[in-house]
Amino acid sequence: MSPRNVSAELVTLLPRLRRFARALTRNLHDADDLVQVALERALARAQQLRPDAALAGWVFGILRHAWIDELRARARSERVFATEESGHNVGDAGQGAQAEMLSVQDAMGRLPEEQRLAVALVLIEGFSYKEAAHVMDVPIGTLTSRLARAREALQAMLGES
Amino acid sequence: MTFSDETVMAYVDGELDDAARAALEVAMRTDTDLAERVARERTLRARLHSEFDPVLREPIPERLLAAANDTGAKARTGNLIWLKRSAARDWSWPQWSAIAASLVLGVLIAPMLRHQPTEGPLGIRDGKVLASGALAHALSEQLASNQLANAPVHVGISFLSRNGDYCRTFMLRDRSAVTGLACWEGGSWRLQALAATVQATSGSGEYQPAASSLPPAIQQSVDALIVGEPLDAKGEAAARGNRWRP
Repeated sequence: MSPRNVSAELVTLLPRLRRFARALTRNLHDADDLVQVALERALARAQQLRPDAALAGWVFGILRHAWIDELRARARSERVFATEESGHNVGDAGQGAQAEMLSVQDAMGRLPEEQRLAVALVLIEGFSYKEAAHVMDVPIGTLTSRLARAREALQAMLGES
Repeated sequence: MTFSDETVMAYVDGELDDAARAALEVAMRTDTDLAERVARERTLRARLHSEFDPVLREPIPERLLAAANDTGAKARTGNLIWLKRSAARDWSWPQWSAIAASLVLGVLIAPMLRHQPTEGPLGIRDGKVLASGALAHALSEQLASNQLANAPVHVGISFLSRNGDYCRTFMLRDRSAVTGLACWEGGSWRLQALAATVQATSGSGEYQPAASSLPPAIQQSVDALIVGEPLDAKGEAAARGNRWRP
């Protein structure tokens, strides 16, 4: 057993993990499934957690990996279960944006996955650039350029109101 | 002084150091264009928060609280469970069970139906697979808290499903050696899932339930249907007393 009470720390993070998962999947059930997978993986690996490590970044990273695994599995099986936007609209950001005002959810759905992750971590979850880059496993410069492109695309899609 | 988009974003994200932040805030007072750029970024943040922050106030689902507290989760392959659940959700549950029945159950059911057409454990009516004979009797009458060790049907857990029906897991201690899940629907025990029993390696030649280990397919079906906790002995007896009417 890990000396720290990982379960208790995870419970306090649950509301934020659910919000993060909702921003990624934009689907209540997929989001909670994703959180559940992340919790199970986190507990299975709790031994690897350094006693002084920040749990939040670690668990959010696990959740991100679980989501990527799921997207790959969906692509492999060529079945798209719930979030039909996640596949064929990637790269469409900006196109058609002038034509219609999109909901925040739809606009998020049209972002490429890495940009959506950056937005969810920094703009919604409030992680610092350093923490978010760590969760995404990329250099800070990569994170900030994804953020910049995501913001531009979201502003274009959402209009100025 | 001009500020790059990157600097404006870093300001809104709280990533500027004190000196840069102060410089930008001073400039904003006179530079309306800069103030507008900052306002635009703040508006975007606010819109994202108003979209997703309500999640924070939702009650946390029981299954997530359980998962956070489950130290036994190590042995599980969570992802598989999740993918199957997603599939089950996209089709309605009855469709899913019908498909499962045609794909998986057929193999297991066929011999049972053929062996004893009148008294076998399962029957098909209106396209539904229903418990019959000794299985139906055991599901209606037998209490998990009080059953004979050598009873032909071993009843496992009982619970209330999200459809508002009582459901029970069972194991047949005959040659078929299957474990299943059935729910009380419209006066019959309707089969939801069936799988080969996880056998303990006892060497005695008899089929024995490995302690508390449901086959993964049955566990998944239970997880997908259960609301709250399984019934305790008192709840089980009360449900039977009420003839499994919720």
